[in-house]
Amino acid sequence: MVNVMMKGVIMTLAESGSSFNHYAALGVLLLMAVGFGVANVTLTTFLGPSRKGEVKGTVYESGMNPIGSARRRFNVRFFILAMTFLLFDVEIVFLYPWAVTFPSLGGEAVDGGLDLLFLGRMLFFVLTTIVAFVYAWRKGVFRYD
Amino acid sequence: MNVFMDKLALLWPEVAMMLGAVACLLAGLSSRQSLRKATPAVAMLALVVAAVLVRLVPNAQGAYDPGVDPSHFLGLGGMVPFVKMSVLALGLILVMVASGTPEALRQVIAAEAKEGKAFEPGDCFRGEFYAFMLFSLTGVMLCAGASDLVWLFLALELTSLPTYVMAATSRDKPAAQESAVKYFFLGAMSAAVFLYGFALIYTATGLTEFGPIVAYVEQNGVSPMMLTGVVLAVVGICFKIAAVPMHFYTADVYEGAATPVTAFLAFVPKTAGFVSLIGILGLVGWGESHGGTASELPEPLVYLLALIAVLTMTVGNVLGLMQQRIKRVLAYSSIAHSGYMLVGLLVGPEAVHAATGSNTLLSNGLAAVLFYLVAYGLSTVSSFAVVACMSRADGSEVETYDDLAGMRQRHPFLSGVLLVSVISLVGLPPLVGFLGKLYLIGSAYAAASAGSATAWVYPAVVVAMVLNSAISAGYYLRIAAVAFFGTDSGQTVELDLPTRRWGAAIAAGAALLLGGLPGNLLVESSRKAAEPPLPNAVPGATLDRQNADDTPPRETAEAGPASAPH
Repeated sequence: MVNVMMKGVIMTLAESGSSFNHYAALGVLLLMAVGFGVANVTLTTFLGPSRKGEVKGTVYESGMNPIGSARRRFNVRFFILAMTFLLFDVEIVFLYPWAVTFPSLGGEAVDGGLDLLFLGRMLFFVLTTIVAFVYAWRKGVFRYD
Repeated sequence: MNVFMDKLALLWPEVAMMLGAVACLLAGLSSRQSLRKATPAVAMLALVVAAVLVRLVPNAQGAYDPGVDPSHFLGLGGMVPFVKMSVLALGLILVMVASGTPEALRQVIAAEAKEGKAFEPGDCFRGEFYAFMLFSLTGVMLCAGASDLVWLFLALELTSLPTYVMAATSRDKPAAQESAVKYFFLGAMSAAVFLYGFALIYTATGLTEFGPIVAYVEQNGVSPMMLTGVVLAVVGICFKIAAVPMHFYTADVYEGAATPVTAFLAFVPKTAGFVSLIGILGLVGWGESHGGTASELPEPLVYLLALIAVLTMTVGNVLGLMQQRIKRVLAYSSIAHSGYMLVGLLVGPEAVHAATGSNTLLSNGLAAVLFYLVAYGLSTVSSFAVVACMSRADGSEVETYDDLAGMRQRHPFLSGVLLVSVISLVGLPPLVGFLGKLYLIGSAYAAASAGSATAWVYPAVVVAMVLNSAISAGYYLRIAAVAFFGTDSGQTVELDLPTRRWGAAIAAGAALLLGGLPGNLLVESSRKAAEPPLPNAVPGATLDRQNADDTPPRETAEAGPASAPH
């Protein structure tokens, strides 16, 4: 019901002549979106029952009890590990589309062995990743002692 | 795909540099000490290979390869190989000067194998240091070849990001880290400014490629938004060249970094900045060089650049006079030289003024800028290198005028090199710095006689430049006077680094030689800059050509020997 009304208002604004009205419609939409959010929060505050308590106020109402502060130091190695993960992640991102297209590159349909060329390129790309891997290894990224 | 492959076919020098950088990374971590020590040699080898490839690989100019569309390289056109070659040559000298820098660090020394202790690769960053030098130099080469705003932005960042790390890790002192942090944050801010400018250029035209943008501007004129974008881009790139609104970091950063790294900072980002400025300004002006009608830069840009130029040279020289520390003096001198070079940008290429008949070697502003970059690079690198060759008795860096006092008695060779480089920086006749200034002033003079609405700017700028050269003599000659006539402080010792010493000597020798026999270098630089980079940049033609090239990818792969399998 409300939706239909909104749609009606927006459509009327949008169709009523000058180009500025397109933006007016956008503005109305924005107002409605903000209004919807604010109205819901306000209404639940006033209408809903309010029960407060120690357990209710904890970080996770249900689940494990939080132990200690979250503001403590943690090993920087995780940062390096995350970077190394990104390295291989990006490699996968490139490998997937290549692997999907690869079968259609070879065969009699396309003469001239384009598949070999693209295989070579991908091998070169994998080689660059291996170099990065060797570098990280040598730098002691994977050493946990 | 097609365009991408064509572009890659022109980038073999950059590919070689990247491979060289990877080789440096691995060599620096080798288990054999001799190989680790050879890392700078690996870097130099990469530079030499890249230089050979610049000669071998077809460049943007003319019809080399049927598959390669020359319009993809609009930015600098025929100037690209010259810029690449000079960057590589200076890069070779810079690597020579920098060799020994990471080796002097406590952490790297501690990481080396000693009796009863194995080599500790995690703590040794010798390979990274030289690899970052190569990465940064590659960035400049890519700036020179940029034909697209996105490409240009990435190339500029590739130039800058390694330099932040180099500044931070080049010395054991907190001052180095302070300088790197300042450099990084201000650099990030300037990147935001010129990226916003690029975004506005895109908003104004809907294009990112230089060729279509030039065609669009020729048809529709320079809109206010386009102009705003170009102004923001220019101001942002002023950070890279250390010109006035963005010059504040220079002295602190140059002083904090190790001296060989300072030499690197004084040449490499500056070259990238000027090369990018040529590309950006070419979007809105200097029509003839882009195949359109002859035009100067838009009037507001002429005034802006003239103002920046005059302020930059004045601020640099006046503040340089007031400094007591050698590296700060040279830092302000590098600001001042940026101001001089901006004059050449203001004038633009020869074609603009061809109508006046003053079509001589002295009338090409861009050629003058390119030549001056080399001249300034040689002189400033050799002066920094001389400072880097010495240390105080306690091992700290040479800092003040007093440390240089009486150098002539203790280090006759180095003081000779210092004299040559300083005199070249002043711009006195037998040296290359004189020719650089002569061509800059000559180009501004030619532009003044062109009789355009903004012609009055050029004589004013020339007067400022001459006055500033006189001011600069104050501190340059003070360096020479202190070194030659001062009483020996007895504090300094020369470091045992023959490569660095020879790097300084080669740079100074080149400054001396090119001042005497400038012929080849100068003629090449001015000719390349003056040539219209793109004879067929007719609006629409570029687009048609690209559409016509829309052939199956197989033909691209076979377009030339350069795109053969890796």
